[in-house]
Amino acid sequence: MLISYPRVTSRLLVLTCLGVLLLPAIGCSEKEDTTSTPDPSMGTEASVEDMGAATPSDPPPADMPSDPPRADPPADTSAATKAMAPLQLEKDALKFGFIKLTDCAPIVIAKEKGFFEAEGLQVEVIAQPNWKQLLDNVITGELDGAHMLSGQPIAATIGFGTKAHIVTAYTLDLNGNGITVSNAVWEKMVSNDPALDSPTPRHPITADSLKPVVQEKLDAGEKLKMGMVFPTSTHNYEIRYWLASAGIHPGMYTSEDIKGFTEAQVELSVTPPPQMPSTLESGNISGYCVGEPWNQKAVTMGIGVPVTTNYDIWKNNPEKVFGVTKEWADANPNTHIAVVKALIRAGKWLDETDASGTLINRVEACRLLSQPNYVGADFDIIKNSMTGYFYFQKSDKREMPDFNVFFKYYGSYPWYSDGIWFLTQMRRWGQITEPKSAEWYAETAKKVYKPAIYLEAAKRLLAEGHIAEADVPWESDGYRPPTKDFIDGLEYDAHKPIEYLNSHTIGNKD
Amino acid sequence: MTTPALEIDSVNVGFGPVSSRTEILANINLTVQQNEFAAIIGFSGSGKSTLMNLLAGIQQPDTGEVRMHGRVVTEPGPERGILFQNYSLLPWLTVFGNIELAVRQVFPKMTRAERKDHIQHYIAMVSLTGSEWKNPGELSGGMRQRLSLARTLSMRPDVLLLDEPLSALDALTRANLQDEIIRIWEEDRRTVVMITNDVDEAVLMADRIIALTPGPKATLGESFPVTLERPRDRTTLNFNPEFKTLRNKVTRYMTEINQEAKQLRKAANVTLPDLSPYDFTAV
Amino acid sequence: MSESTTDKIKYGLLKTIDISGFKVFDPVVRLLFGEEPTKQAVDIVKYLVTPIVFVLLCMALWTVIAPRHKTKSGEVPTPTEVWAAAVVNDTLNEREDEKETDFALSGEGREDAIMEVSAALIIKEAESVELKSDLLQIEKDVKAEITGKIAPLQEAYDRLSQKNRMIKAERETNIHSLAEGVASKKAASADLLQAIRDDKAATEAGRDAEKLIKEEINEVRNNPPKALKNAQLASNAVANEAGHLSKRLDYLKTGNRSLKVTEAEDKTVAALQKLEDASTPAAVLAAAKLVVGGEETAERIAEQRYPRTATIWFQVKRSLFTVFIGFIMAAVIAIPVGIMCGLNKVVMACLTPIISIFKPVSPVVWLLIFQIVVGAFFPDPENHPLFTFFASLPLVGGLGINPALVFSACTVAICAVWPALVNTALGVSSIDQDHMNVARVLRLSLWSRLFKIIIPSSLPLVFAGLRISLGVGWMVLIAAEALSSSDGLGKFVWDEYQNGSSHSFANIIFACFVVGIIGFFLDRIMILLQRSVSFDDGAAVV
Repeated sequence: MLISYPRVTSRLLVLTCLGVLLLPAIGCSEKEDTTSTPDPSMGTEASVEDMGAATPSDPPPADMPSDPPRADPPADTSAATKAMAPLQLEKDALKFGFIKLTDCAPIVIAKEKGFFEAEGLQVEVIAQPNWKQLLDNVITGELDGAHMLSGQPIAATIGFGTKAHIVTAYTLDLNGNGITVSNAVWEKMVSNDPALDSPTPRHPITADSLKPVVQEKLDAGEKLKMGMVFPTSTHNYEIRYWLASAGIHPGMYTSEDIKGFTEAQVELSVTPPPQMPSTLESGNISGYCVGEPWNQKAVTMGIGVPVTTNYDIWKNNPEKVFGVTKEWADANPNTHIAVVKALIRAGKWLDETDASGTLINRVEACRLLSQPNYVGADFDIIKNSMTGYFYFQKSDKREMPDFNVFFKYYGSYPWYSDGIWFLTQMRRWGQITEPKSAEWYAETAKKVYKPAIYLEAAKRLLAEGHIAEADVPWESDGYRPPTKDFIDGLEYDAHKPIEYLNSHTIGNKD
Repeated sequence: MTTPALEIDSVNVGFGPVSSRTEILANINLTVQQNEFAAIIGFSGSGKSTLMNLLAGIQQPDTGEVRMHGRVVTEPGPERGILFQNYSLLPWLTVFGNIELAVRQVFPKMTRAERKDHIQHYIAMVSLTGSEWKNPGELSGGMRQRLSLARTLSMRPDVLLLDEPLSALDALTRANLQDEIIRIWEEDRRTVVMITNDVDEAVLMADRIIALTPGPKATLGESFPVTLERPRDRTTLNFNPEFKTLRNKVTRYMTEINQEAKQLRKAANVTLPDLSPYDFTAV
Repeated sequence: MSESTTDKIKYGLLKTIDISGFKVFDPVVRLLFGEEPTKQAVDIVKYLVTPIVFVLLCMALWTVIAPRHKTKSGEVPTPTEVWAAAVVNDTLNEREDEKETDFALSGEGREDAIMEVSAALIIKEAESVELKSDLLQIEKDVKAEITGKIAPLQEAYDRLSQKNRMIKAERETNIHSLAEGVASKKAASADLLQAIRDDKAATEAGRDAEKLIKEEINEVRNNPPKALKNAQLASNAVANEAGHLSKRLDYLKTGNRSLKVTEAEDKTVAALQKLEDASTPAAVLAAAKLVVGGEETAERIAEQRYPRTATIWFQVKRSLFTVFIGFIMAAVIAIPVGIMCGLNKVVMACLTPIISIFKPVSPVVWLLIFQIVVGAFFPDPENHPLFTFFASLPLVGGLGINPALVFSACTVAICAVWPALVNTALGVSSIDQDHMNVARVLRLSLWSRLFKIIIPSSLPLVFAGLRISLGVGWMVLIAAEALSSSDGLGKFVWDEYQNGSSHSFANIIFACFVVGIIGFFLDRIMILLQRSVSFDDGAAVV
């Protein structure tokens, strides 16, 4: 077919015009973004009116570093029974990001079980490829909030890695991680410690039997490589804790060495959770610390053996939080409360038990999580850990009722003490390069953790009859009592971060 | 005396760097009168196309000048319509479109209807009526050259420059087109300079034949006026003694200058290698 | 029908299939018109039947080989499984459609839907219960079977390891006594050394023997009967279906938009009543605020849209849109720059180093760069005018145009720009000198020279370049989406890889076909365009 020139040129003109139209549209972005963020006090009136003792001029999420240690709970909890004015949402179509891990469950459940809808929220839940991208998307505003590693909001706020003020008013879960080693390493560990040569070895397994393996590698001029999911992730601190408690040096971060390999006997590198099994299988790493279902996956695939869970490393340690930017929280205080309300209900639903203590909703939760747009792994794999069991080997199925805790033990409350523990670990491994004072630890934790919002949401739920009064630590000062539930038995008291830091053998001391 | 339509005044053209310069045309002088049909005849490679480019203004002489109606030619233009050897049609345009492009450019003030008539007129002149919407790719070689001719004529040039217009065609088509060009020229006389390598063609069509000596340093040789009556009829012409004499004269002249050139070249360039036979039988 | 009209239709058809690049069907058309039947039949067998048979052979080979290759994540899916994956993905899309409709249903339609869905749900739930009990039974059987198989092995293992330990202990005592002997000069040290060496070898041999049994045990554990897996899948499928139905009910009942609007309106009415009843100024103010708030809520709810989950067809649409935007961007840059390069040697010289250096850069690097750069332009993507504009467009509004799309498109553009640019430059610079002479004789202005001679003359090459560009762009886009999790087919593939479920592998292969088929059609479209602008017949290479 042949064609005459006017047709040809006009086609070209169309192309050119389209381009001309597009270019200014991209370029003009800078002018438009100066629209001021709405005054945080606007639109919160309805919620503030009934807040009792809280100063009416302050929106709930306001940053109050000069607070007394008490996390200002609503003064009059009995008033909770009184009807409250409905929340005037600033925004009702929200996008939340998550990583394909079972501990995103509260977000998924809140959506699928209609808890978000009950608050008038239309929520899209979008899988993110890795933690960095997730954080970036939250910071750019692409996402309203996300499932985050506990360390992420803290690190972002103090400026380790991407700098942004991230706050959290909800802890998504406790525990839920495991450390898996490859079959080859496991065999060597077994030959180092004959006690492990049993279909059901004694727990907790320490890294003592790993030490000769590490040494053997070092003698060969190599380093054992293991994977963790993010420099500021719980997993990084947990696997370091586990290794260090057996005297294996996991490496220090310094201002030059941002990979954390300095002095390392075991090199820990970042791998996104879903890629852990395949990276292990391909031999790039000999073990990893990751959340579920990726430890169970290694068992199913027969490529590795989970040796310990973080429940053994630190009983009921905080794992993931729900993070939003400070700007978002300030601009949408009522929406934030509504989101936390939905999450609390989801958490409670997930931890619902019957009279015999069986978790009754977990199977349904697994069913929902196994949908391809959520975690997407096989239902049967997700079910393993979520329903209170954990396979350490195909032959070794153990009851672990507290492997995933979403609500029990005041687990969803945003504890300052949790934040301080992560800060001490960041300091311990050199991510915080300078020594800091105990006050700094407390203040930083308060910048990130926002129990006031949690309590406000809880108060409303109590009034609506969705939770019981005993479900929430109303009178807490935001600090959990000192605990010795660690694999090495050291005591952690969040009021004394420096002393805690100095009690470790390996790592920075101040 | 009126100013001649075209003048070439002591023109030299060469190429290459100064150190090893090759002169193509040397000391060319030519005057073509108004409405004269001049044919320049030469061997291939003698610089005929360069000469045509000079006349058209596509190329500038190194020294000397080309004048049209007394004005120096510095660039090509539609007043010197050139008919290229290989048609130079725009393959993405139809027959009509090819002519339209030229007409629009040369007569921008024409109304749409006028333009259409004008184009149709020239299409009819070269007997392409009915093929207006075909693309050059769908035309035969002869039709393409006719289209090219129509396009050139449609610009109403003062001077028509024909650069071996028929050399790429087969003999029959060629004869056919020769007649056509003569017919058109006789209908609408104007100055024509045609370059050709065909003596018969030159004698048949031109008023005057000018020989171009073989290159390098080609220059214009003898000029032969053609006094044959017009209209010239190809069938009877072959028996015309004047025609035969002229044709023979031109042919002989061309052969002579060609041999001369060959000898010259030999004398100038060929140095025999210093070899002597060796007797292999001795071994 | 007269002879000539038949011929006209025939040649029209032949031309069409030729231009669209489906020349293989040429003999079929000719045969239909009865032209030299034997020759056409031979051609059909040669060029149509044989390839089809070959493809079928490949499929057969795939079907046979795939299940034999066991990976740790399961078997390689067969064509049937891939087809099943396609069906499942389509079902997921349908489910989203259903939920979206349910969310917006109101009045009688809603009531009817509730009836229908409830009925279906009851059936499915019953089925699900049945399957679950079947599954439990199978699980029990399998467990018994595996335990039965493992028990003797485990016993053998225990026996062997105990025996080995005992022998080892004996050897060690022997070594100890030898050592004592050597110390007291009663035995030769060579014997001791030999004993230690033997002990090491024996221990090793013992361990190997144990390992063999252990591997056997693992083999049994790792390969539960296929029936179990099938039962699990079947049970899961029905349970998912039931779950979907109950979710639909949610959207029809509590989550329904019309209901929520009514509820909000009721609240407003109640608040209005309160406003009338209120006596103190504070109460009046509070009630008035409630009224206004209620009105706003009702309005907002009425505009709510069902938050769709991204399904494969959505991802396809989004990928197509992204590649289109990227391709347009590439063309808009490449064509003018290419023309300038082709026209002016200085421009060409200036751009050559840039083109040569950036052309080989991997799309992944570009992606990362654009990801960082583009983000800075959109500090508040929700309210950015570009995105609000796109969101308001009818067809593409639902695609979720966001910075991720912009940087994916930029990556596509930067990678696709080079072939188009180089080809345009080539097309312009290799323009026939005769055509330029025509332009000079006509004294065309620069502008008409560009649009009437240069561009039309270089169009075939430009389009050849654009065609390569689009192909490159499509490939790059899938990679970019996979890496950046920007919605699209790439993200679909990446998510599936990350899911690592038993369907994932089949889904990835399914996506591979989707990508390929779309790529094929994009290429065909470009061939069509290229042919329509090429003036010398057959310039386009199929």
